[in-house]
Amino acid sequence: MKVSLNLVKKFIDLDGLSVEEIAHRLTFAGVEVESVESLASGTNLTVGQVLTCENMPDSDHLHLTTVDAGKHGVLHIVCGAHNVRKGLKVIVALDGAKLPGGTIKKGKIRGHESEGMLCSLLELGVDSKFLKEEQTKGIEELPEDAVVGDDNVLSLLGLDDVILDLKLLANRSDLYSVKNVAKEIETLFERKANITPSKDPKNANLAFKVGSETERCSQFSARVVKGIQVKESPEWLKDALRSSGIRSINNIVDIGNYVMLLTGQPLHMYDMDKLPKEELIVRDDFEGDFVALDEKTYKIQKGDVVITCAGKVMCLGGVMGALECAVDENTKNVVVEAANFDFASIRRTSIRLALSSDSSMRFVKGINPNQYDEVENLTAELLKELCSAKEIGEVHTYLAGKYQPRVVETTSEYINGRLGTSFSHKEIVSALERAFIKVEDDGKKLVCHIPDHRIDITGEADLSEEVIRILGFEHVDSQLPSLKASVGALEENLAKKRVVRSFLRGIGLDEQLTYSLVREKEIKDFALLNKEEAYKVMNPLTDEHEYVRINLLPSLMNVLTFNLNHKNENLAFFEVSDLFSGEGKRHSHLAVVLAGNDLRRSHLKGEAYSFYHMKGVVGGLLKLFNIDEKRYSFVRASVEELHPGKSANVKVDGKVLATFGELHPVTLKKYDLNTNVIVMEMDLDVLFSVRTSMKKMEEISKFPSVKRDFAVVLKDEVSAADVIQEIKKVNRELIKAVDIFDVYRGEHIQKGMYSLALSVTISSMEKTLTDAEISAVQDAIINALALKFNAELRK
Amino acid sequence: MELIKKVEELKNEIIAKIKEAFDEPSLRLIQENHLSKKSPLNAMMSHIKELQGEEKASFGQAINNAKKEIAEFFASKEKEISDKKIQEKLEKEKIDITLPSIDYHMGGINPFYQIIDEICDIFTSMGYQVKEGPDVETDYFNFERMNIPSNHPAREMQDSFYITNTTLLRTHTSPAQAHAMDEAKGQPLKIICPGKCFRRDDDDATHSHQFGQVEGLVIDKNINLGNLKATLELFLRKMFGEKREVRFRSSYFPFTEPSVEVDISCMECHGKGCPICKGTGYIEILGAGMVHPHVLEMSGYDPKEYSGFAFGIGIERVAMLRYGIDDIRKIYQGDVRFIEQFKRM
Repeated sequence: MKVSLNLVKKFIDLDGLSVEEIAHRLTFAGVEVESVESLASGTNLTVGQVLTCENMPDSDHLHLTTVDAGKHGVLHIVCGAHNVRKGLKVIVALDGAKLPGGTIKKGKIRGHESEGMLCSLLELGVDSKFLKEEQTKGIEELPEDAVVGDDNVLSLLGLDDVILDLKLLANRSDLYSVKNVAKEIETLFERKANITPSKDPKNANLAFKVGSETERCSQFSARVVKGIQVKESPEWLKDALRSSGIRSINNIVDIGNYVMLLTGQPLHMYDMDKLPKEELIVRDDFEGDFVALDEKTYKIQKGDVVITCAGKVMCLGGVMGALECAVDENTKNVVVEAANFDFASIRRTSIRLALSSDSSMRFVKGINPNQYDEVENLTAELLKELCSAKEIGEVHTYLAGKYQPRVVETTSEYINGRLGTSFSHKEIVSALERAFIKVEDDGKKLVCHIPDHRIDITGEADLSEEVIRILGFEHVDSQLPSLKASVGALEENLAKKRVVRSFLRGIGLDEQLTYSLVREKEIKDFALLNKEEAYKVMNPLTDEHEYVRINLLPSLMNVLTFNLNHKNENLAFFEVSDLFSGEGKRHSHLAVVLAGNDLRRSHLKGEAYSFYHMKGVVGGLLKLFNIDEKRYSFVRASVEELHPGKSANVKVDGKVLATFGELHPVTLKKYDLNTNVIVMEMDLDVLFSVRTSMKKMEEISKFPSVKRDFAVVLKDEVSAADVIQEIKKVNRELIKAVDIFDVYRGEHIQKGMYSLALSVTISSMEKTLTDAEISAVQDAIINALALKFNAELRK
Repeated sequence: MELIKKVEELKNEIIAKIKEAFDEPSLRLIQENHLSKKSPLNAMMSHIKELQGEEKASFGQAINNAKKEIAEFFASKEKEISDKKIQEKLEKEKIDITLPSIDYHMGGINPFYQIIDEICDIFTSMGYQVKEGPDVETDYFNFERMNIPSNHPAREMQDSFYITNTTLLRTHTSPAQAHAMDEAKGQPLKIICPGKCFRRDDDDATHSHQFGQVEGLVIDKNINLGNLKATLELFLRKMFGEKREVRFRSSYFPFTEPSVEVDISCMECHGKGCPICKGTGYIEILGAGMVHPHVLEMSGYDPKEYSGFAFGIGIERVAMLRYGIDDIRKIYQGDVRFIEQFKRM
């Protein structure tokens, strides 16, 4: 809301208050002044008169002039404007003048002395939307009666206004009224505003029927005014509108806007002679086409508030009038409407039809329900004064119910208690009274009568806010609450996710955050774990963010592509996020992507990330959550996007915990990737729900342990896990560990076979084993492997 | 005495040889020839039998002194040679210590999580519980329970992503408050709720259709605005430095009354005014207020008996201020050169 300080000054004396003071105080009281603007600016300006004007000999558009600048002397000025001429009164920017475009300095133009500049209003920073076309093309032509040497040029032009751009809070719709802004200043600065009610200029009895057939209209007033003249508005009205960012059209339209600006009440004016009947009835049951003022046709639905006359729609309530009864330059008689409609209906209609205006906005935010008489009177006064209205009828009002002023009871203890302040009873009462609240005070209870314009004050808590914003938040005593001591903690799922995240960062993976809304393709592709339905957004902004994701990998694939495109080549990153499926379920997932080289493996070279790196990530997490290796297994996965020979599902207690593996060559091609990529998606809910018992220390043998290394040749289809399991079975008491240290295929090994090099740790809890006892274990292992897998000891 | 003179000559001869030794083998050779039992100096000992009295004593002493002196020279030479050898070895083994290391490193953390984790740590240390609400909410929890009925003008401020007519992506973390209050069943509450929120904003440098918030809520008897101020002072000073001043400005949220915007003195200029705080000396950091009595009522608390305060802080804004991030989209893009700048234990 742009508020002209010149307009505010009509209602309250601002002498002695700086603009900065006003802006600061308003802002802290919740009326944020976003910016302070001026309509035009310029220093060192004066009124001059052109004494001589000749064309510059070597130029097709420049003129050499001498200008009488009164006390500033006669100046030589080069001017390029087409309309400069002898005798013209002009705005002169003197040497050193600061204009929005820069500083004016004496100098030479094409060798000719120039001691200043003759200005257009554009050069003083006036927005072109407020200027006539000829004003934008040449220098400003001042009126004949302008006094040469008068330095108050901006004031002479009505451009000396300061505009406060207010960012109003949703509850302070009362401030879409300049009079109420003046009242707010009265409240905050304790200086009296001069706001007197308008007189009713009624001079005739002019019958008119008003009514409503819908609950969506609580009040509807109309007054007939006859014999008006539509013409240009006077300068003061144009200035007032211009300062508020509104263009002047003609006196009748301008009056409507001006009254709305002052009171916050939107008006509508009908050309009386175009109405088929002397009546206006509010309805909400109309359906069909409606041709509005903007000459466009809109579809009206049931539920839209319409104002009808003889069954025809004359106005879309609060939104826009009909073309057929619009006021124009030939209008003689008008009906002035001031009404109050249900803001939710106006909001729905204006959003649906994409029609919003200063009027509909005010209805939507809420208007003062009890000022229609004042509004009608103010309008009629202006119609009489500016449009020479001859006959002014009485105000006809429909009311759905009697207006009930609001009364809220409170106590000063309540207010101090809520605020943490120690204001005296008297201070609190006086603060409330400053907000135009009438307080009945019996020494304890405060019965507060809320002024009509403050529709936001409905309860005790609102009164506490009034008190503190008026008296100042610096009075709030900062004091920690005295609460019972309690153990602070993250909820279990959140705490566990944090453990996972810290672990992964600890092993060098970067933690990512991506958008939860994804495109359709990202629901279908890389759906490694979750195959549920996904939520679809009804009103997405772009197809890029249309679905609520159900897996994380698709998002991380985008991150991968982004990084590879930016030449970040060795990548290890993850994201942990909760997912919300269309089946109403919540899942906590982890996804990991590894690509390029692991630079931790050896100096300067690194090692290409492989299936086994990701298996290590999974294994690390299983160990972190203390899950015994007997409870999980890695089984081959069959997933379209992954390499069938290099991918696995991890199952814990029979449930799939994670799917991971290297990307299928076809996937690599599809995503245009030229590097090794290993991905994993894990269902953290499965990980977190595994029940494990409290960890107990395992006894470590006091006696030496012995390692025996050997290699066996096996058929390709025998897996390492099977071999390890078989070895452990041989003697669970003495065999402490089985480690694999090499896998070899090639020379000296038959095709279809491979060599597995093992290191077996043997030790007893009771004694130091003899060589013979150790060899017996080793022989038993070799025999068992020969028997089970046909394995041969490699010599 | 002739014999003593001989010893002296022999000693000088041996010392000269030791001095000439240049490596381990030459030293060993000297040891074998001149320092063993069969050495000429040792052989001189046989002459002792020929001497008597004082002469015998001084001759014996001369030999011993000579031996001692030789041993000292030898030891010193031996050390010199071994030092030289070690020196040569070290010289040979010298590496370029400026070559890059093997790359052990902590993974980077998205600053979004850095901030959330930090806020959670501060509040858990003050005894708060941390709970996450769901991203997908009913309009009942997202709006109604936050005192925003369907015809409320505040719904206009929050243009939302709807999934059905009654389900949407939450527009703030505040509904998590309502869930927490329902669970607390009228008992005092001290909680923060971090999470993701969504609004129908086009993405640009300062707007994002997805963003994070942390919501805080305390409900008990006799909670007041001063308690909110003290709590936020504690939190914001931990977060932004002990010297931060905290101030309130009047504001409006449907679910709090009074409502305030909370500013902190600028961490760049300490209140003097600079481009970061747009010359005001203060930076808007979060919104807060006293829980609206109607919100308490809807959540099973008697507003005559209980009161509470609530606050909500934007995660990205804090991250952007703290780290000077100029474009919110960088937080969601995933460039590892960005992420790896941030580490957290």
